[in-house]
Amino acid sequence: MRRNNFKLAYQSLKAAKARSLLTMLGIIIGVLAVVLVVEIGQGIKGQISGQFASYGKNVIIVQPGVNDEPGLSLLTGLSGTNGTLLTPNDLSTVQKTPGITEAVPLAVGSGSMTGNYTVTSPFIVATTTQFPDIVNQSFMAGGFFDPNSRTVALGVNIAQKLFNNAEPLGEELTWRGQRFLVSGVYNYFNAPPLSLEANFDNAVFVPYSTAQQISGGSLAIYQILARSSSPSNAGQTVKSVNSALVAAHGGAHDVTVARATDSSTMSNQTIHLLTLLVAGAAIIALIVGGVGIMDVMLVSVTERMHEIGLRKAIGATNHQIMRQFMAEAFMLSFIGAVVGDALSAAGVGLIRAYTSIQAILVWQIMVAAPLIAIGIGMFFGSMPALKAARKDPIDALRHE
Amino acid sequence: MALIELKDVSKLYGFGDATSVALDEVNLSIEQGECVAVMGPSGSGKSTLMNIIGLLDRPTHGDYTLNSRQVSHLGPNQRAKYRRDRIGFIFQSSNLLPRLTALDNIALPLLYKGLSVGRRNRRAWDMLERVGLGDRAYYYPRQLSGGQAQSIAIARALVNTPELIIADEPTGNLDSTSSRLVMELLSEIHKTGNTVIFVTHNPELTRFATRVVYMQDGAIRYDEQTKLGEVGRYARSVMYAVPETTEDDDLSGVSAIMGVLGKRAEAADKAKQKPKAKRKAPKRKKATKI
Repeated sequence: MRRNNFKLAYQSLKAAKARSLLTMLGIIIGVLAVVLVVEIGQGIKGQISGQFASYGKNVIIVQPGVNDEPGLSLLTGLSGTNGTLLTPNDLSTVQKTPGITEAVPLAVGSGSMTGNYTVTSPFIVATTTQFPDIVNQSFMAGGFFDPNSRTVALGVNIAQKLFNNAEPLGEELTWRGQRFLVSGVYNYFNAPPLSLEANFDNAVFVPYSTAQQISGGSLAIYQILARSSSPSNAGQTVKSVNSALVAAHGGAHDVTVARATDSSTMSNQTIHLLTLLVAGAAIIALIVGGVGIMDVMLVSVTERMHEIGLRKAIGATNHQIMRQFMAEAFMLSFIGAVVGDALSAAGVGLIRAYTSIQAILVWQIMVAAPLIAIGIGMFFGSMPALKAARKDPIDALRHE
Repeated sequence: MALIELKDVSKLYGFGDATSVALDEVNLSIEQGECVAVMGPSGSGKSTLMNIIGLLDRPTHGDYTLNSRQVSHLGPNQRAKYRRDRIGFIFQSSNLLPRLTALDNIALPLLYKGLSVGRRNRRAWDMLERVGLGDRAYYYPRQLSGGQAQSIAIARALVNTPELIIADEPTGNLDSTSSRLVMELLSEIHKTGNTVIFVTHNPELTRFATRVVYMQDGAIRYDEQTKLGEVGRYARSVMYAVPETTEDDDLSGVSAIMGVLGKRAEAADKAKQKPKAKRKAPKRKKATKI
């Protein structure tokens, strides 16, 4: 009986190939969208945590602001800073906290820079010499700056812009009327796409103390990277750094201290929320696909009214007619879901191949989305099926 | 106890002032083994009666007892099961499901009964052989002639060994040869002890019946027992007053009938001439227009 229902459903779908295909398209696009969005989101999240993971397990990140409400910061664009920035005092507080072996500030400088070419507003990061060590970053050429001399290190992209040369070692550049020598160029940073973290490939790294002198001590620190003595006590150190900073700020909880490997960083939460939002929109696409199934099946029921009447005259019960049409709804949504899944897998492959987004296959969503799609299809299919099942046999038979 | 007992069965459509009566307190009892021909003009309630007897429809008033069981108030699923197990239907046209093969069409009632594929096919094959279409098992309905399709429909009606076969104008869409084939098949079924009820407009076909019921305006007007092979007398005399003509009359065609009609013949002669005049007139008009 059941096998017969599916055989019948298959035949009736085959009889109206174009229509069935268009109906399935709704489900296909819905499943494709849901699965792909989640897989891209997961991929980016993985990349972000991968970036921090490369910093090392004992690295601690201190950021201004508390991201209790990632939604708010996402919507207002005031991502987490809440107007406050870290100060040199905070840096020394962190450095003095027991368990911290070293801490480097990351501050943003401003002003145009001129090498062979001028860049009007480059991304200038003022930091100290331990920076490449903490973030585990290697150099393409040369080494980091000497804090006592006027030297800078460049990201790959900015080196190209300033000098049109990938290794402008020993070249001169001018910043705020001061001359600096290029001491090294970094390899590409492990930067994820869509991340809110700064892309260091575009950054010019200048010595913190020099930058502070030049900009008159008004340099704002947006992040402090610190290292605990060993990975095992990093968790404990995070707490003590936090309490030290809270004490220094007079009891205000206005900074976030976390281990670099913690996935609950700002970017991650933002991506997570974004994924949820877009996946929500995609689910609406799925529901619309379900409405499409209902539409087509209503047409199909009307077209086959005579057949329904005949089947009933021969002795089909309401239940049996219902099952026949539910089989059709199932088949439409099932095939649509499977095709959508397959296309999403292909899409992940294409995205990995042609963009910097390392989307990953997430089996949970690849199972859940088709199941939801089939559920939606069956739900919307039940209405026409019920209509068919309840039809009076004589009315149905008169229908030609 | 008769197989079918209808007591004061009425069927009304609509309500209030718009009520129309399809069946008006019909009383009818049919014994096991009868072959009943139901005749009557269009709209006389024949099909409604068939639908009620076949449990496709429920009477508005009255009692229907089928095989000693009161069935007028059964629910839709109960009635579906009755139809499946006890009643075989044959309709006028579009009788078969177009997407199923002849064999699958025959096996359909067994499918709804829940039989296994093997048993279904075995019994469907038996029926197919019985109606003489063993070589058409895997044909689709559109590949069969009208007579063959109707034979398949009869095979399907019989596959569940029902107590009652109901045929609503089974030969309505068939030529005389196919009609004959179908009716002989039905009569064969009747001879093996089945009860058959069929609706027809063709008095010739009452030859196959043991009883003729004539309906008009939702009521049974005349009910006669006939011998197999004889046309129902009443039906023939009342309903189909065809003028007695000879073979020569048939050959001379319309003009002969015109002659018989006497006075009208003159009018017909005038009519013959008129078209000539008419034919000329438009031509002239056309010419002036151009």
